Amino acid sequence: MASKQTLPFGTGRIVVSTHASKSVFTELASTYPLKLLSPKVTLEGVAVAYILSYGGGLVGGDKVSLSVEVQDKAKLVLLSQGSTKVFKIRPGTRLASKGGDTTLTVQAMTYAVGPASTLVLLPDPVTCFRHASYNQIQKFDLDPTASLVLLDSITAGRQALGENWDFSRYYSMNQVRVEGRLVANDVLLLQDERGLSSGLHTRSLGDQLAPYSCYAMVVLYGPELEATIQDIAMQYDGLTVYQRKTAGDSIWSFSRVENEAAVVRVAGKETEMVRSLLKVVLRQLEHVVGPDIYRRAFS
Amino acid sequence: MDHDEETYLLLLLSDSNLPTGAFVASSGFESYLKHAVSPSPSTGESRTIDFLRDGLASYARTSLPFVSDTHRLVAEWMDTNAGGEEGNMVGVVGKLSELDKFYEAQTLNHVARRASRAQGAALLTLYARGFSRPASLVEYSDPDSQARVKHIARVVEHFKLQVRREDTPGHLPVCWGILTAALGLSLDRSQYLHLFLNARSILSASIRLNEIGPYNSQQILLHAVSKIIAVEKSKCQNLRTGFLEDSGVEFDETIHGPANTWPLGEILASRHDLQHSRIFNS
Repeated sequence: MASKQTLPFGTGRIVVSTHASKSVFTELASTYPLKLLSPKVTLEGVAVAYILSYGGGLVGGDKVSLSVEVQDKAKLVLLSQGSTKVFKIRPGTRLASKGGDTTLTVQAMTYAVGPASTLVLLPDPVTCFRHASYNQIQKFDLDPTASLVLLDSITAGRQALGENWDFSRYYSMNQVRVEGRLVANDVLLLQDERGLSSGLHTRSLGDQLAPYSCYAMVVLYGPELEATIQDIAMQYDGLTVYQRKTAGDSIWSFSRVENEAAVVRVAGKETEMVRSLLKVVLRQLEHVVGPDIYRRAFS
Repeated sequence: MDHDEETYLLLLLSDSNLPTGAFVASSGFESYLKHAVSPSPSTGESRTIDFLRDGLASYARTSLPFVSDTHRLVAEWMDTNAGGEEGNMVGVVGKLSELDKFYEAQTLNHVARRASRAQGAALLTLYARGFSRPASLVEYSDPDSQARVKHIARVVEHFKLQVRREDTPGHLPVCWGILTAALGLSLDRSQYLHLFLNARSILSASIRLNEIGPYNSQQILLHAVSKIIAVEKSKCQNLRTGFLEDSGVEFDETIHGPANTWPLGEILASRHDLQHSRIFNS
């Protein structure tokens, strides 16, 4: 295991490979404010790690970078404990106390998934607090025989405090390459641009995204996900839309992107509705990661 | 190209009778209405304007980088000497195809992909069949301009062939950039017209869906759409795909690159085919 001293601030590194038909961590290291934890027991031969941050959140100026490698037919599941909270400033500190760009929070992750290996990324949503500014860049490099599930989601903020898409900026890029070829490039930018409207009523992010307060996106790729993709397609093809009087509590869509790749999008009036819908839509994943891990991811 | 010539071209390209396939596309508006996501109470006019604003903002941010980069590529090709190397031509078409595939990888919605490809192919056909000089008039044009047209047509024809072979998808913003550059329209006008045509096709869809009447559509075009286009164009006119930037040039994709800004529109547009009855293809 690499010593923590060799890693700069806010850096993490995970390497998983196979030993005696079980996925094991050959590297699992991180530095403040990033924290990586793995339960002592591996479940069903799958390696599980939790991505956390100290103090339960990230603040403006934080730069986190994580590099992950899954090799040798190993299987890695990455989860989080609760949502990733992004504050404009750390509660209790003054804005001027830090150098550099103190407004933007950046998380950059790179993932390499080798032959016949599987990466499953099922974190809770990101929650950007009022005035927060956040960039998340995830790049996935897959072998043609690798498999991937990536879930990326965002909520409208702290509803208890009346926040409704009140952050300044949220940018999320998920770039999936297979043998270097770009298969999916999902880029979402949510930015408060109320200042720009001219001669028309102002239209806020909240207006654009209403009536939903949580949005999720899932990319699925590879042989391990074939049954899951088929099952989702079957569920989706069974849907019929008639003229509605009011919007549904949650809504989802499914698109096949290529032979082996598919995208699912979900929106819901509550974060919980998105989670429970995803749990049904992605139900075949239980056979990919095992029932225990599946339950943990969607509990 | 002088001012009158450019104006004339704009008039031709903005003709709503142009066979570009736009009349079967609602860009997700039909599905948006079916799902009743607008806050109530709302009117046909308010629903149309809200959808147009959110939809156009996202479309400008995702498509203009591709219009700009393809326009730039083809305009550069036109500036090279007529009868340039075959290898150069293949190089230009190769880059256009890379941009096209990049757009495809970014369009993760099968309904939008389908509509974009159909309209892209229609534009390439329009160039070849609707904008070429009729045979009976060829002999009256001067040899210089004939050589120039031939030089440009080589690239467009070659790209079109690749689309027909399904070697490249042929997406709307890419084909629009190619077409307008090949006709000599400036990038600035090309960007503006691209957004205008998208907005107007949403208004046409709104009329067909009985949300607004033809006079109301005209009112919205004059008093709302011009402002919406101006705002979106100013936000997106300098965006790039990043694909053509020299490695030395700093390109921050999080600021200058394409992005989807309306996830709700994406879900609704994807759900188009689930509608029990529908009059549009997208």
